[in-house]
Amino acid sequence: MSNRETITQKLQAMLPADDVCRDESCQAGVLFSAQVPLAKLRDAMKECDTAGYYLESITALDFEDTFELVYHLNCYEPRARVAVRVLCGHDQSPATVSDIFPSALWQEREVHDFFGIEFVGSPDMRPLLMPEDADCYPLRKTFGKVYAYHKRDEIYG
Amino acid sequence: MAEQFQEPVVEQIYTLNLGPQHPSTHGVLRVLLDLDGEFIIKADPVIGYGHRGHEKMAENRTYKQFMPNSSRMDYLSGLLYNHGFVLAVERFAGVEVPERAKYIRVICAELNRISSHLLWFGTYIMDLGGFTPFLYCFDDRENILDILDRVTGSRLTYSYCRFGGVNRDLDGEFISMTRAFIERLRSRWTDYHNLVTKNVIFIHRTRDVGVITPELARQYGVVGPNLRACGIPFDVRKSEPYEVYDRFDFVIPTGTKGDALDRYNVRLEEMEQSCRIIEQALDQLPEGPHINEVAPFKVKPPRGEIYFAFESARGLTAYYLVSDGSPYPYRCHIRVPSFGNLQVLTEVFRGTLVADAISILGSIDVVIPEIDR
Amino acid sequence: MGSEMASDWIRIIVGLIIVLAFSQLNALFLVWLERKVAGHIQLRYGPMEVGPHGILQTIADGIKLVGKELITPLSADWKLFVIAPVLVFMPVLVAFLVLPFDENLVIRDMNLGVLLIFAFSTLSVLAILAGGWAANNKYALLGAIRSVAQNVAYEIPLLLAVLSVALMTQSLRFSEIVAAQCRVWFIFLQPVAGLIFLICATAETNRAPFDIPEAESELIAGFHTEYSGMRFGLFFLAEYTNMFIVSAVATALFFGGWHGPFGFSFGLPGIVWFLLKVYILLFVIMWVRWTFPRVRFDQLMNFSWKVMLPLSLLNLIVTAAVLKFI
Repeated sequence: MSNRETITQKLQAMLPADDVCRDESCQAGVLFSAQVPLAKLRDAMKECDTAGYYLESITALDFEDTFELVYHLNCYEPRARVAVRVLCGHDQSPATVSDIFPSALWQEREVHDFFGIEFVGSPDMRPLLMPEDADCYPLRKTFGKVYAYHKRDEIYG
Repeated sequence: MAEQFQEPVVEQIYTLNLGPQHPSTHGVLRVLLDLDGEFIIKADPVIGYGHRGHEKMAENRTYKQFMPNSSRMDYLSGLLYNHGFVLAVERFAGVEVPERAKYIRVICAELNRISSHLLWFGTYIMDLGGFTPFLYCFDDRENILDILDRVTGSRLTYSYCRFGGVNRDLDGEFISMTRAFIERLRSRWTDYHNLVTKNVIFIHRTRDVGVITPELARQYGVVGPNLRACGIPFDVRKSEPYEVYDRFDFVIPTGTKGDALDRYNVRLEEMEQSCRIIEQALDQLPEGPHINEVAPFKVKPPRGEIYFAFESARGLTAYYLVSDGSPYPYRCHIRVPSFGNLQVLTEVFRGTLVADAISILGSIDVVIPEIDR
Repeated sequence: MGSEMASDWIRIIVGLIIVLAFSQLNALFLVWLERKVAGHIQLRYGPMEVGPHGILQTIADGIKLVGKELITPLSADWKLFVIAPVLVFMPVLVAFLVLPFDENLVIRDMNLGVLLIFAFSTLSVLAILAGGWAANNKYALLGAIRSVAQNVAYEIPLLLAVLSVALMTQSLRFSEIVAAQCRVWFIFLQPVAGLIFLICATAETNRAPFDIPEAESELIAGFHTEYSGMRFGLFFLAEYTNMFIVSAVATALFFGGWHGPFGFSFGLPGIVWFLLKVYILLFVIMWVRWTFPRVRFDQLMNFSWKVMLPLSLLNLIVTAAVLKFI
């Protein structure tokens, strides 16, 4: 069984049917999207790791009501990208996945730089791209000039 | 000797601050090296000197206004980034593109890929201490810049693609220049192979140096030629064909060991494959308009998101765009290939010599402003 | 007796002045030549602006260097730091005393001339170490360490190669060694020694592909990272003068010195032949530099201890055996 089928089944087994979405055409670039609760993030990532996926990018979205962390994972097969999405409140701290995917270390540092999200258990949370003495989180919608600050439902609802 | 590296018994560690101003860090990279003699015990890359906040800028600009930014992240393959951004927005907003424009974009993008690889080739040999190939490559690259200059009007940070096509149409002169260039480049391979590839010093400097195993590459998300050098034929142009890449006949060159020599060979072969793509595209180039004149003036993608991956000269690059239906992106994240490619060095540098570290850093082909964004 | 002493002194003083003038001019010329050779190898012209074909470029550069501020880093050991560039240039000048430009054109034809050259050229390593250490810069120190290791490693095969020539002529006097080559150059009788000598000489002068002490893509500028102005200029001039000396020694030991090929001089004076061969060798050294990448430090050391040293020893033994039994 190919990696993409393995991981799809694993994640489907782990999560309620409403939270997963499979798009065979990959119109939005992602084959399989899974809305994972914060507590299950590490489990989902471990499954991806054993299925032979690599971590492509970690990024966050800032909404009025919550942060959303988006983990894009991919494997060396055609059209197999998986997005693991985690809602993370403005005062919550997700667990690090840098021990599962070493490449997450820098990407989490980058997210921390830009959004101020602390990753629990990360061995290194020094600023990566921002100066050491920076006192702002530039990609938060409360920083600088912004055109819109929405609730999550206004975009994904 | 590198294989004989052992944990240092002495506690005296020599910390060397390599960069940010250093002849071979290619941009402003700083690496803190803990040395035992000339062996590297620990490497800690420090980046961010070139951070310009492109992602924040994107939120304050319309999609069209952000277009020039896109080619300024990786200044060596600006057109590829520009192309990728335009493709992402077109797919997102559903803009139609004429056939001819697609071919024109592919031709220019592949020319840009060759120019990026040529520059890498020259600077890599320069990192190894050979000066002359550098200028030979620049001579060839100059040709590409002239060709692209003719049609795009710029030589480095191209902003040539438009939503729905390209800025200017190709003319006969461009086509004959491109064909002449490919002819010329192919005749240069013999020179390059005689001067560099067969050189025994070069082979000794690169073989078994900086080996990246497939597993290490997966853990660190290494992509592009560096990944293909360890034997995994993964190329976005094949796995998720965008534009018209599925209409061309080309192969993905791979290596076997994942050392610097493999990475070198893969990149050289990739240039040849790009030549093949350009030739086929020129042969198939259809007539018609070069831009969709009825494309909307103000692009407003629907609510939602898109993750668009494409193959830049350094590997899988992706634009992650989130839209709230307004002309301004709600969030624009750029997944850059050099990010993972550089991070893997913390692992690969361990136990190598300083001289090897330079060789490995060169062979990985990182562009720092791309990482810093 | 007294007048002989006086004439000897005059000979040495005049010689020194000529040597100083010649070595400086020659180094300036070599810098220009190097840039020209590099330019033409790399599909460009090299210096073209100052003087015809840029011949005065290095003089302009020299004036610029003289006008620059001499910076001494605060944390440097300033005494050593200041003295090192002078130290590096002195042994280079001494070597000119015994170089046989022509049959009678030697400042002082000593019976230990060959030995003297190598004894003094070893001293420049100390100067490099002093300079690299005193600068209190990490790159400079690494460069100095590399330089010392490299010079020690390559001196031994170099001397062994010279020894096999000395065995054949039973002399360490340059004039006798050159005179013995009036028909056949030693490069044909001692090809292995000649090759070893050329390779080691390239390494001794820190020239590419063995330029690891100043490998600019790794160590910025190696031992002279912190030097500016004319102090840097002295290191630079010393490098080029060193190149001239090793080429001159190679010419004298292996390429027949002032003799033309196979005893035919074609009516040209000896000094012309000598300088011609020296500059051809210099061109070859430059050609090599602009063609090859740099070797790695451990490969360089392995090459010396594992290849060059056994080979030169073997060559010496074979030479001795052949001389003994024939």
